[in-house]
Amino acid sequence: MTAPADRRGTVRARPAPMRHLAPNALPVAMAVAVAVFALLEPAFLSIDNLVGIARQVAIVGIMAVCMTFVIMTGGVDLSVGPVLALAGLAAFFALDGGHPLPVVLLAGLAVGAAVGLANGLTVAVLQLPPIIVTLAMLSIARGTALIVGGPEQHLIRNEPAYSFIGTGSVLGLPFSVYVFAAVAGLMILVQRRTPLGLLVAAIGDNERAAYLSGHRIRITKTVVYVICGTGAALAGIIQSSQVHTALATYGPFGTELDVIAAVVLGGTSIMGGNGSVARTVLGVFFLGILNNGMNILNVPIDIQLIAKGAIIVVALSVAARRA
Amino acid sequence: MSAQAAPVLNARGLSKVYGNLVALADADFAVRPGEVRALIGSNGAGKSTLVKILTGAIVPTGGRVEIGGEPVPLGDPLGMIRRGVACIYQHSNLAPAMSVLDNIFLGRQPTGRFGIVDTRRQRREAAALLARHGIEIALDAPVGTLPTVKQKEVEILKALALDARVILMDEPTAWLASADVARLHATIRALRQRGVAIVYISHVLDEIFAVCDTVTIMRDGRVVAESQLAETDRAQVVQLMVGETLARETVAAARQQRRPRGTGEIRLRVRDLGRRGVFGGVSFDLHAGEILCLTGLIGSKRTELVRCIFGSDRFDAGTIEIDGRAVSPRSPVEGIASGIGFVPEDRHREGLMLDMTVTDNLVMATLDRHRRGPLLSLAGMARAGRRAIDDLSVRPPGGGTAVKLLSGGNQQKVLVGKWLALGPRILILDEPTVGVDIGAKAEIYAILRREREKGAAILMVSSDLEEVMTVADRIGVMVSGRLSAVHDAGSVGMDEIVREIGGGTP
Amino acid sequence: MTIRFASAALVLFFAATIAFFSVSAPRFATASTVENLMSSFSFVAILAMGQAFPLLVRGIDLSIGAIVGLVGMVVFDLSLIFQVPGWIILPAALLVGTAAGALNGALVVCLRLQPFIATLATLAAYRGLTYAVSGRQLVPGLTTTPIRDPWIVGIETYLDVGRWTGLSTFVNMPWLPLSFVIMLGVFVVLQAALSSTRFGRDVYATGGNHEAARLAGIPIGTVTVCAYSISGFCAAIAALIMVARFTTATEALGTGMELSSIAAAVIGGVSLAGGVGAMFGPAVGAFLLGTILIGLTLQGVPQFVQQIITGAILLAAVGYDRLLWLRRERRPAAGAGPA
Repeated sequence: MTAPADRRGTVRARPAPMRHLAPNALPVAMAVAVAVFALLEPAFLSIDNLVGIARQVAIVGIMAVCMTFVIMTGGVDLSVGPVLALAGLAAFFALDGGHPLPVVLLAGLAVGAAVGLANGLTVAVLQLPPIIVTLAMLSIARGTALIVGGPEQHLIRNEPAYSFIGTGSVLGLPFSVYVFAAVAGLMILVQRRTPLGLLVAAIGDNERAAYLSGHRIRITKTVVYVICGTGAALAGIIQSSQVHTALATYGPFGTELDVIAAVVLGGTSIMGGNGSVARTVLGVFFLGILNNGMNILNVPIDIQLIAKGAIIVVALSVAARRA
Repeated sequence: MSAQAAPVLNARGLSKVYGNLVALADADFAVRPGEVRALIGSNGAGKSTLVKILTGAIVPTGGRVEIGGEPVPLGDPLGMIRRGVACIYQHSNLAPAMSVLDNIFLGRQPTGRFGIVDTRRQRREAAALLARHGIEIALDAPVGTLPTVKQKEVEILKALALDARVILMDEPTAWLASADVARLHATIRALRQRGVAIVYISHVLDEIFAVCDTVTIMRDGRVVAESQLAETDRAQVVQLMVGETLARETVAAARQQRRPRGTGEIRLRVRDLGRRGVFGGVSFDLHAGEILCLTGLIGSKRTELVRCIFGSDRFDAGTIEIDGRAVSPRSPVEGIASGIGFVPEDRHREGLMLDMTVTDNLVMATLDRHRRGPLLSLAGMARAGRRAIDDLSVRPPGGGTAVKLLSGGNQQKVLVGKWLALGPRILILDEPTVGVDIGAKAEIYAILRREREKGAAILMVSSDLEEVMTVADRIGVMVSGRLSAVHDAGSVGMDEIVREIGGGTP
Repeated sequence: MTIRFASAALVLFFAATIAFFSVSAPRFATASTVENLMSSFSFVAILAMGQAFPLLVRGIDLSIGAIVGLVGMVVFDLSLIFQVPGWIILPAALLVGTAAGALNGALVVCLRLQPFIATLATLAAYRGLTYAVSGRQLVPGLTTTPIRDPWIVGIETYLDVGRWTGLSTFVNMPWLPLSFVIMLGVFVVLQAALSSTRFGRDVYATGGNHEAARLAGIPIGTVTVCAYSISGFCAAIAALIMVARFTTATEALGTGMELSSIAAAVIGGVSLAGGVGAMFGPAVGAFLLGTILIGLTLQGVPQFVQQIITGAILLAAVGYDRLLWLRRERRPAAGAGPA
């Protein structure tokens, strides 16, 4: 939230320069990590493993590239977890009803877009704080998922087309990775070559100036939440397809934090401002490499969690120093 | 006022340079105990830089400061406060949810055991403070719920509670009604009795002549004059503020190029425009092909007026007509749709996206033109950027440079360029050359004249009389929210303008 | 001191909720419900009050749930593995929680990390630490061993207040859970600190106007670290209460509690922007949420709907707050400028 004179009349100095990792820090860190893991365990570099990394990061990756815009405008979306579940359920019921695949997909995505729209309107028009709005939506969405789906698992059987999304492969790479690549590519395109992308950066940089330049801030802000919700829905479809199950409790607490961590490690500041979808992709892979490497080395889960926390701290305080 | 006592605050040779912009050059400033010294100067005169050095907010490039005869380290706000230099800023320095009482003693509440606040003692001290200075205020009210008047009083009380030896007041009466101003002045006189030195930073000449003893006038980063107020008058003060009579060549050149009323076609017609409590009864016409400069002292509400014309603020009385059509823009979107471009006063806060490139900033208001379907034509944007950079002589001439790396003058050119890209029928500029070096200033004037030739109607707010006399075809003077007169630039002398600005009878 | 205690609206709403459920839910207005409410939500109230402190200094503590888990596991280990007597475990637990909170504060102050990010990182790290020290993994046989130390188990006691005061001859009195009394104690101490000490004033100043606080010489770094330490301290107390209740601790203890603590605090009037709020609001907020959940359960409303309603209430609370703010901003300041 880059703030001009804040509401109480206190004139705030312009926010500190955007906290970026120096442009090359992240790729360098990734290269170092890869080198270290490869040295300690050559199997890390096997094709199988690398493909596995890609498959593992696809779901969080899709959510992260779609949440980047939201964070760039100084907001956040904590409700993506339940949206995962809701989308899976929507797809399940559509399949159950015998609808063709396009309708099924549409149903799932529409659910995500609807949640995103609710979030966006509340944040942009009613101007309520995004943390609280999406926190409330998290509750509401989870409750809705449980009502609609109940606590039981819904098995998806005999749906080869749907299952292909999560489990199929093309040329040796999982289909979900292609989807991630496509979504990431689309978001990068939006950021670099559409008015929306430019506006999001402008709002993050100086919302007041963007307003005075004649742009419709509220519409833009609403749209970025819709994108985020739709991305979470797509991730939910892939996930339910992967495990052949739709369950109301998918996307448990912690999912949204993983997504935010990936975006933030990619260099976008949580306070809003300059950001980059491409760097988010790097952040996603960085986390994926770390997770995978540590798993391969049989690092126990507790150390992994501690390491994750430490890395976030180190990465961002280094960034703060450079600013 | 003690006649020849040693100064309690003595600044010598202060200077501050930002890159190639000299904000302050070799400034001397001193106040004695019990002296009320006015500090005046237009935007960009170096006033705020001087104040920031004195309060420790920035470190000067050169010079030194002594308090009570002892040199003090600079750049340490807490240190300055501890040494008895307090400043009451224009922005709020209070915690709005806390009570008046707590704000007065912010960080210093008297405590007993366990750090428990001794509220009785606090109240006693506060009551004594209030009584001593004749201020009445509800001690328990949350400061944020008080009207701005009262908030200012709390700030003053806070400084007084610190036993400050020097109190700087930055536009202290900006939001006060006349009765409250009188009370503030009574407080100042009481402080003077007790030997406190006061630096009164303001543009309201009436107040300055009413309550101050001495005046320091700044212009273009230098102290140009110091005087006892009893030995000078308004006209002289304003003249010192805004500059000596212009060099003859500039005057002659300017005269040749004047086009009062431009092509004669009325583009903008404002009648009885008002915004309650801010400005009122403003009426004027703006013609195509002319430059109308609105001048006056800070606080005359010119920015507020032009914002209402553009649509970033709302007016509640009067009418606006553009090309004969009545409009009431309620947002910048509507203002732009009516053909208005608006270059705001604060290019950092309201004008530019500092972390984005020059090209991005240049096309920010004209994105629609570069749409190709759902996408933007990056090539088209780059082309438009290059054209504008060329046109405006932006240096360094690279569209991909981050705007924050440019000098103030070039940043301003980019900002103006953004709005010129719209091809606006009416161009409003608010203090467009503040913080801009001489060379860029001249370039911006040339750009404005060129737009004028193309038929644009230009409305420019400026406090720099030299600039006004150079650039304007017609000159409007605003005083305290009222438009006192509009003159043809060729037929009015600078003295007359100066007099009007000071509030004297035209 | 006119720091807003809790808006009248909140208290009214609480009363209205109680009235509504007393009428519409069977068995709501009974002693056992009150007892249930107190024993199940006192620790939520404590967490909400703890969360309020980082919020007051314009921060947030996302790791409060992880600290609960960590302290719980430490208690488990000390008691069952190392056989440390309970009267040592109690202060040790508080120390661990406070230290964890202090680390959060240090990250925010010394490394200048955004509170959201800093506590996001410690959320992961503390949870990891919980797994790392987990006695359940180290000594698998202990997973079914209950904690029996009287000092700890003693927290889960119920006081027969009815008999002491003689009221139980007239009306069926609920037994008072000790956890409720602890909550009251925490409330009294923290509220006193906030409203009566210079520290409390400094907290409000730091959150209310950071720059003004700094210029006033307030040690904002220390104040901030203390605020986060208090949050950790409250997390430790909550952990003790829960461990006493379940007589064991799991690695997942406290998961999700950051959300309820934030929700209760915000409903209780603590502003995300800092500088506004007290202890009464978050406590009431926690019990309000508890009342609604219990009432809805008694009404037979499925748990899922309860979640939706909780979210809706959070939205309503923050929307109402914003409405108040808007109305305040719109009121023109008396005696505004010339013309």
